[in-house]
Amino acid sequence: MDFQLLDKILSSVEKPARYMGGELNMTEKKDAELRFALAFPDVYEIGMSHLGSRILYNVLNMREDTICERVYAPWPDMEKALRENDMPLFTLETKRVLKECDVIGFSLLYEMCYTNILTMLDLSGIPFRAAERGDDMPLIVCGGPCACNPEPLAPFADAFLLGDGEELISEFADAVLAAKRQGLSKQELLVILSKIEGIYVPSFYEPVYDDNGLFIRMERANDAVPEKISRRVLKDLEHAPYLGKPIVPYMSIVHDRIALELFRGCTRGCRFCQAGFIYRPIRERKRETVMEQARALIGCTGYDEVSLFSLSSGDYSEIHELVPEIIDEFEKKRVSISFPSLRIDSFLKDDLEKMQSVRKAGLTFAPEAGTQRLRDVINKGVSEEDLLRSAKDAFESGWNSVKLYFMIGLPTETEEDLLGIADLARKVSELFYSMPKEKRGKGLRLAVSASSFVPKPFTPFQWEPQDYKETLIEKQKFLRAALKGIRGVEFAYHAPDISVLEAVFARGDRRLADVMERAYQSGARFDSWDEHYKPEAWSEAFETVGIDPSQYANRRRVPGEALPWGHIDMLVTEDYLKLELKRAHAAKTTKDCRKGCNGCFGEKYADYCKI
Amino acid sequence: MRIIARFEKGEAVRFVSHLDIQRTFQRAFRRANIPLAYSQGFNPHPQLSFATALALGYTSEAEWFDVKLAEDMAPERFQEAVNAVLPTGFRILEAQAAEEKLPALTALMAASSHEVDFILPVSLSAESVISAFDAMAGGEIFVEKRTKGGMKTVDIRPMLLHYSFSQTADSLKLSVFGVSDAKGSLNIDLLLGALSDKIPGEFSYRVHKNTIYSLDGRVMPQKPVFAC
Ligand code: SF4
Repeated sequence: MDFQLLDKILSSVEKPARYMGGELNMTEKKDAELRFALAFPDVYEIGMSHLGSRILYNVLNMREDTICERVYAPWPDMEKALRENDMPLFTLETKRVLKECDVIGFSLLYEMCYTNILTMLDLSGIPFRAAERGDDMPLIVCGGPCACNPEPLAPFADAFLLGDGEELISEFADAVLAAKRQGLSKQELLVILSKIEGIYVPSFYEPVYDDNGLFIRMERANDAVPEKISRRVLKDLEHAPYLGKPIVPYMSIVHDRIALELFRGCTRGCRFCQAGFIYRPIRERKRETVMEQARALIGCTGYDEVSLFSLSSGDYSEIHELVPEIIDEFEKKRVSISFPSLRIDSFLKDDLEKMQSVRKAGLTFAPEAGTQRLRDVINKGVSEEDLLRSAKDAFESGWNSVKLYFMIGLPTETEEDLLGIADLARKVSELFYSMPKEKRGKGLRLAVSASSFVPKPFTPFQWEPQDYKETLIEKQKFLRAALKGIRGVEFAYHAPDISVLEAVFARGDRRLADVMERAYQSGARFDSWDEHYKPEAWSEAFETVGIDPSQYANRRRVPGEALPWGHIDMLVTEDYLKLELKRAHAAKTTKDCRKGCNGCFGEKYADYCKI
Repeated sequence: MRIIARFEKGEAVRFVSHLDIQRTFQRAFRRANIPLAYSQGFNPHPQLSFATALALGYTSEAEWFDVKLAEDMAPERFQEAVNAVLPTGFRILEAQAAEEKLPALTALMAASSHEVDFILPVSLSAESVISAFDAMAGGEIFVEKRTKGGMKTVDIRPMLLHYSFSQTADSLKLSVFGVSDAKGSLNIDLLLGALSDKIPGEFSYRVHKNTIYSLDGRVMPQKPVFAC
């Protein structure tokens, strides 16, 4: 590494702290037998906010034989500077170039980051396609929630790690190390990896399409590789390694606080929510364990905020004991507490008042749909009364900033459902202004946010079409008009282009890799950022490769047809998803399975769930 | 009680911004269990202030902060406890107890000295840099300065109190004394930018801040008298 040049580059880019490393609690290792680059295809402040990869950083660095170093997608100004100076991308810890690592592991959190993977490989002089990489090249692996449909990235990756990573990453590291010691070839290593539960080696599988270009089945290279690759489940969260001494960034990041993971998984079964299905079953940590972790983490980081970080933290079985306990213990240290995902039906006024004594943050409610009918379709177990009661409690406790999250384009949605969104917003607003002035805060800030529905694999809606872009735009306009004049409302919505692209990649097959590579070559980067998103690069790429994006986004699949991710087993059975789809169309809800099992794992994995 | 401390911002952290430094110290205080005093009011915050904001990329051994504690603590113990938990690159070099009625750090300071290390391309001789600087310092030095009302042209020559070059076979160093008080400071980047406009060929440089002086020697060393 030419440090003088690096210096010059860092002086010239925006936010050099993104690339500089050296933060508190960074690993002190300089080298080890196994070099693992933990790569995150988004900027530092987003990557550093991701709990999963921070856990893996700890797990890998706990091993004496391994050094795990971080690398993030360079912001376009840095990419430009690196290219102009002919400098490869490097890790934050030792400034090692990626080619000198044994493994590069990408975290897949969001489909719209995929092109950044190519940027990172490109800047490292590593060929994109696995087939073009020799034994001298690092092994490229991917993990994280989006890996549940690995196909659009399959040609680029040597392997995918599916499911909880705490144990799997270590087994993977063991296998890579053993192969390294024995001098095995990459091919030999891949065979070994394909036998580990939770590891998918895409080169051993070949998709088959019919004459119309429709995916019809996946063929295996040989019988030795499993027909279905099932994800890993960490059965004992209580004793699993957590964050250790986490890095404390200098620059502020998106999630700049201590995350306390109360449990993994979610029992509610909202039908659009992928996380609600692919992280099952629910596994809780004991309250004592959470408190112990809180103490240790505050002690070694000096953070002044902890957040209860789970899919729906309010469902934690000891939530009403935990919240006061945290407040009582840490108030004198002036540590405040926040919930990233508050369920409106699962917290009490008392808790609200206690939270307020520490710091008043905004409250977030996610009814997702505007009418009870549509909320039943999506199985969002939230009623208008619940919402209004919670909002009233919150207003009485002095809150005046509320966010309401909705989705538009949900299956079976009608105009009435859109009007329902405005109706709900109006009721919240009226509730606030009907309270006596001295009893409420000053002005109401009611943020109404409408994202566009994206059908995701392994949800009951995986067969559902997404609305056409034009329809989404119309619905946004309609909703904007309906919200007009409601006091305190600020309306925000997402660019529909990006939701469409997300839908294409979420349910994409292997041919999308060609589209992605092509779009990358025409400059597609950081596609989820409005200022970087290049619609022409994408439309041109789809055209050149000869792929019609609406076949992926807007086509209704028939339950039973072959799905590109059909060889991946996320444990919830397809039969269960089909049943849930049926119930959705009948606007029938399914109960929270804390109240009794709904049988989502079928027989095969029934014993995975201890509820 | 009130503690005033001088700290170092080293090589490893020279790209850490001023805002991030404030947070770094607040977190370090919490890790070290320093009993900070908090302001009264709706949104209590620790009473911590810094003398100046160092430009991004500079190193320094003359960064100062002023902090209020809720309980008394020996300054040496404070220094030791905080140094034990500070990330690499930051270090408290001295800490002293200060009287409550002592003015704020910004009100005390009067001047500062920086050392500039030039990195010259082969095409540029040290002599030509020195003579260009001498020529520039002989008159007014106009620079474009960003102000609230947009860009403004100002003469920064009055802020330059004294300078000297030192030269070895492979290095050229400039030490600069400039005004640095509550009303404003000599901006080294602007000064060198003006120099660069007068020289063909590009040079780069590293800046290290040596000292902040006070007018009367209270807290910080007393500002020297310059005859220039
Ligand atoms: S197996 Fe039953 S209890 Fe467990 S997650 Fe599935 S539905 Fe819920």
